[in-house]
Amino acid sequence: MSKLKINGKEKDFSGKIPSYLSDLLEMLEVDSATVVAEVDGKIIERSNFKTAKIQEGQSIELIRFVGGG
Amino acid sequence: MSDLKYNLTASNLSEITRLNIGDKIYEKMQASTVAVAGLGGLGSVVATSLLRAGLGNLIVVDFDKVELSNLNRQQYFTNQIGMYKTDAMLENLKRINPYAQIIAHTIKLDARSVEELFSDVDIVAECFDAAKEKQMIVETVLSRMPNVGIVSASGVAGFGRSNMIETKKISPKFVLVGDSESGIGEGVGLYAARVGIGANHQANAIIEMLIEKKN
Repeated sequence: MSKLKINGKEKDFSGKIPSYLSDLLEMLEVDSATVVAEVDGKIIERSNFKTAKIQEGQSIELIRFVGGG
Repeated sequence: MSDLKYNLTASNLSEITRLNIGDKIYEKMQASTVAVAGLGGLGSVVATSLLRAGLGNLIVVDFDKVELSNLNRQQYFTNQIGMYKTDAMLENLKRINPYAQIIAHTIKLDARSVEELFSDVDIVAECFDAAKEKQMIVETVLSRMPNVGIVSASGVAGFGRSNMIETKKISPKFVLVGDSESGIGEGVGLYAARVGIGANHQANAIIEMLIEKKN
């Protein structure tokens, strides 16, 4: 079992979940400069994406921003 | 102001707003503070709508000057080209209410200044243009400012698809407006109409949050 809940949907990483939040974002092809990330209800600041360890079963919310305004 | 057609007093203006929205809501709006971060297509509309709704304390922030290329969507006028947006916005807002309490900061916001300037406000309106600036302010308010709400906009570019622009309550202190996908890009421009729909979703969400806020 190697599942994470991402934006409310369960995602199976078939054996190996990414080690750090930055790895997850890279895998999902999300530009880290334009995303606000919340892991189990806690905001992880962008400067900590590379050191934020991801664990099995965590619930991750990724809010992506697009330009214009 | 010399161009005032009528000799309006502060109480003329406050009494009519009080009549329009009722005593209870008027008192709440008067006691509230909102910071509008960015005075472009979103912010120039949000600030105007909030002031017209009787907001007591408004903070407006932008570092930039009004340019010709802004007039397609931002609420400025040709005679204001070259002025700081903060000065031009103050001028326009004072035409709506010469007695309004408005503080303007002509600076480029970063995480530190967001914390410093907005720590006592009720709600921050995120009205930036660039996606990474939106990220910066939303992250800062959500992670470091537990008593401050934020209403952000993402996905307001282009035209049509009015009904795809939504107000989403992500958490009690975070509202996200827009369709979340229509960004600016090649061949996709910004229009006063669709940006304005997003901006007034923001203003409307802010008014609701202020009125429903527990004291």
